[in-house]
Amino acid sequence: MNAAQVLNGVALGSLLMVLSSGLAMIYGLRGVANFAHGALYMSGAYIAYTVSDRFNFWLAILLVPLALAVIGVVLELVFFRPLQHRSHIELGLITFGLALMAERIVVLIWGERTLRVTPPEILQGTTTLLGVEYPTYRLSIIVIALALAAALVLWLRGSRVGLHIRAASQDIETAGIMGVNVDRVSLIVVSLGCALAGLAGTLAAPYIALDPGMGNAFLITVLIVVVVGGIGSIGGAMVAGMGLGVIQTVSTVWSPSFAVVVPYLALTIVLLWRPTGLAGKRVS
Amino acid sequence: MTTTAPLDDITESMLEGPAPGRRPRGTLIGLGVGVVVLFAGLAVPYVITDTYRMSLLLDATILSLMALGIGFLARHLGQISLGHGAFFGVAAYGVGVATTNWGWSPTAAVGFAVLAGTAISLVMGVLVVRASGFGFLMLTLALSQALYSLSVQTSARPLTGAHDGKLLSYDREMTFLGLTQADVMNPGLFWPFAWIALTACAMVLWLVGRSPFGTTLEGIRENEERMRFSGYDTFLPRLTAFVLSGAVASLGGALFAINAGYVSPEILGFTTAGDSLIAALIGGFGMLAGPVLGTFLFVYAQANFNFGGNLHLFTGIALIVVLVFMPGGITGAFQKLWRRVRRSRR
Amino acid sequence: MKRQVVAAAVALAMGSTLAACGSASENSGDGGEGGPIKVALIPPTSGALAQFGTDAVKGWETAVRLANEAGGVDGREIELIVKSTDADPATTLRVAKEAVTQDGAQFIGAVMTSPEHAALNAQLEGLGALSFNALGKDDALVGEQCSPYAFHVVQTSSMDINALASSLSELPGDKWAIQAVDYATGHGAAEKFKAAAEEAGKEIVLEQFAPLDTTDFGSYITKIKDSGADAVFAVEYGADGVAFVQQADQFNLDNQLETVLGFNMVSEPLFETLGDTIEGYFNNVGYDVDGDNTENQEFVDAYTEDHGAAPYYVPADNYLAAQTLFAGIEEAGSADPADVSEALGDLSFDSIVGAVTVRAADHQVLRDSYLGEVVKDGKALKFSIQSNATPDVTTPEPDSACSM
Repeated sequence: MNAAQVLNGVALGSLLMVLSSGLAMIYGLRGVANFAHGALYMSGAYIAYTVSDRFNFWLAILLVPLALAVIGVVLELVFFRPLQHRSHIELGLITFGLALMAERIVVLIWGERTLRVTPPEILQGTTTLLGVEYPTYRLSIIVIALALAAALVLWLRGSRVGLHIRAASQDIETAGIMGVNVDRVSLIVVSLGCALAGLAGTLAAPYIALDPGMGNAFLITVLIVVVVGGIGSIGGAMVAGMGLGVIQTVSTVWSPSFAVVVPYLALTIVLLWRPTGLAGKRVS
Repeated sequence: MTTTAPLDDITESMLEGPAPGRRPRGTLIGLGVGVVVLFAGLAVPYVITDTYRMSLLLDATILSLMALGIGFLARHLGQISLGHGAFFGVAAYGVGVATTNWGWSPTAAVGFAVLAGTAISLVMGVLVVRASGFGFLMLTLALSQALYSLSVQTSARPLTGAHDGKLLSYDREMTFLGLTQADVMNPGLFWPFAWIALTACAMVLWLVGRSPFGTTLEGIRENEERMRFSGYDTFLPRLTAFVLSGAVASLGGALFAINAGYVSPEILGFTTAGDSLIAALIGGFGMLAGPVLGTFLFVYAQANFNFGGNLHLFTGIALIVVLVFMPGGITGAFQKLWRRVRRSRR
Repeated sequence: MKRQVVAAAVALAMGSTLAACGSASENSGDGGEGGPIKVALIPPTSGALAQFGTDAVKGWETAVRLANEAGGVDGREIELIVKSTDADPATTLRVAKEAVTQDGAQFIGAVMTSPEHAALNAQLEGLGALSFNALGKDDALVGEQCSPYAFHVVQTSSMDINALASSLSELPGDKWAIQAVDYATGHGAAEKFKAAAEEAGKEIVLEQFAPLDTTDFGSYITKIKDSGADAVFAVEYGADGVAFVQQADQFNLDNQLETVLGFNMVSEPLFETLGDTIEGYFNNVGYDVDGDNTENQEFVDAYTEDHGAAPYYVPADNYLAAQTLFAGIEEAGSADPADVSEALGDLSFDSIVGAVTVRAADHQVLRDSYLGEVVKDGKALKFSIQSNATPDVTTPEPDSACSM
């Protein structure tokens, strides 16, 4: 029994991990708390619904992150770059406005009904793992998310672009002086962050029912994860995301009413005790 | 002359306000104007005989109290709070609990509610005030969402009615400062209370802003570290400002509950607080009249612009437009225009 | 700043001296004698309930069309004024006041949720308008929140659950797990179900509550699987219900179950979304679209003609609300709300759900309730009515907390 519950937690944590790493990247580099991240996640899920309805789910996994990356490019070029001398809070509020618009536009296009996406054939049904019968689809989410996390960390640590990203996230001015093309790095980071949000949405679609409130529901949790994990630290966000997912799911088993308050409790404790977050100022 | 504010707080462009000048004569004139506005406003129900429009004006006035609190904090502390819904909501529920569960008179209930809301702001303030910028925003948001989650728990049902909300009920004989239960729901009759509350709070906040305390706050807003090094305690002034803004919001919540006769958990959540923040921002943080103006516009828009849920689409667009082109909000834009006109006259 | 405020103050002062001395805020709203009878509809147009709001209006539209074509009610035409709300009681109240004072409506319909009705009921006498509730099922609406100007056309939650309880012994499965939403109706339903189960000789092996807006039911489903249950009583609404059914399917929960009994969970609007997963599920049904009486057949034909699809409980209950209103006006011989309210007390009439009576003590419409099973009808799903419970079985005595 407990194995299944833990797996539930890991599945939720995986989703949070993918979603929050995108947010952490944008926050780390641009300093902007992207309030539109929940809306991006929701858009990804809804686009995935349409794509897998017309074609198939695998195509959705490919197309949706690309579509969201394009949105990310627009975000960077139209808002973040021209307004970069403005304060972070103001940029955050702009993304808040964008979130309000995006949520309404999604409803105007897809309607208010709850929608459902069925996972592809091979991933349907259950697999027996650790003595428990567990939905195959959820297992695949875990696998994909962990693989993605590993790839992301390796890329950030190992590649040249990754080095530039880490440098710019640490101190954008000095990195610029040292010759890093900050504009290009920004573009990459923002579109990658948005693509990750879209991917999370696609993965979540067969897992959770699609409904216009899904963006808001996750937004606060993800913001909390990023703050708890450490401002700008992608690794920290990942760990915090997984941790929060597990803790919240496991506490649902004992006391659902308490489980709802867990993220807020975590945030308050962390912000009071270690305001820079669990991982502190390290970027990866 | 001024050092740049930390990049996490709001920039000076958002706080476009009247030119500094704290002469006592200015204060007296301002007070005089305030009194005139107060009395003039009391005449409104005699001009507007239409119940529907009157109720819109009343709603706007009550909500303005919350926006006023948010605006005060933004202007004098330089911090954006998404948590004022907590104070508004706690006060509203306070009225509900006191009248319906404990059988108090509405007048006593309102007094209790304002105290309760202010107490919550004290607790939240202690936790929040040390943070700044994004941390401040997140904490206020998280704490008010936590309150919302707690209020919709089934265990809270006897107090809050959980998701169903709370219908106020008190003895037919009991009155709120002379108005019966049927009367308080009549916008024309309830108007004097709301209007007096709004103008009184605005005047108080204005005076506080012009006082030496206000100057201290401004110093802290500009550069907190330097204030501390100069020997000022920054924690208490910030806390006081926070509690003051919370008290104003609480008064709004209490009046709201008395007038509506019904409290639903949505007012605790961050959608309501977000709407109020946006309204205050669009109105402009530079002047105290800004948040009030913004709220009136918001209530008007809510009532008239195609309520197919499209309200938030327009709010989002308006927010972005204002932030990008008119960061000082509408009153800020007026201020700029005014200055330009004055300058061109010389 | 000073100058702007001075300008505003002067304008206000001028305005007030120029204005005539009217007294503040009078209620207008006097239904024209002989003019059309105005009914305001205030459905939700945003959020998850928007679809139901639209369908509620459709029910009224068909009723009004048929009535007007037959020469009107009491010789007068019925006019619908369709407003909108976001289901926040404060908004709905504001819109209701607008409809009564600006538009001259004397009757209100299509308001959806119980909290909205609770807030509205408190104001109806002051507004001088009658409200016909075809959607909000909370028991309190015919209890302490009742109003002499409010009429409860739909079954209450108690009536629904009593109907289910009476058919419980017919359902296979002995070890039941209860999965309910952590909400008043969820707890109420769970309690009544437990009592009925004990009477029918069934065993309750698990009872759990999920907060509203739960998206991940994994932990709950895992617990159900481990409890050894062979039947589930599920009370999850809207998006929660869809998520629950979908995830139960992924966990292969149906394998070990003989019965899944839903309470207000599986309904026609969700059939398409839920798909074949729910074939064989049971649920309480408030309206039988195949009801074999002339009123119903006329309704179904007219509705299908107007809107292109067969009706289900939402438009049907709203049509019934219209029928109740019209019956009251005919009986009273007037459209004055006070007269209609009095005429409706203990009035019986023939409706699309058979002969019904409006109970005077709490204004509850006494009508049948059903248990349905989801079956395949060609390519689509529909309910097959398994049993029928009459009001004397389902309806509790009027609540003493209701004072008219």
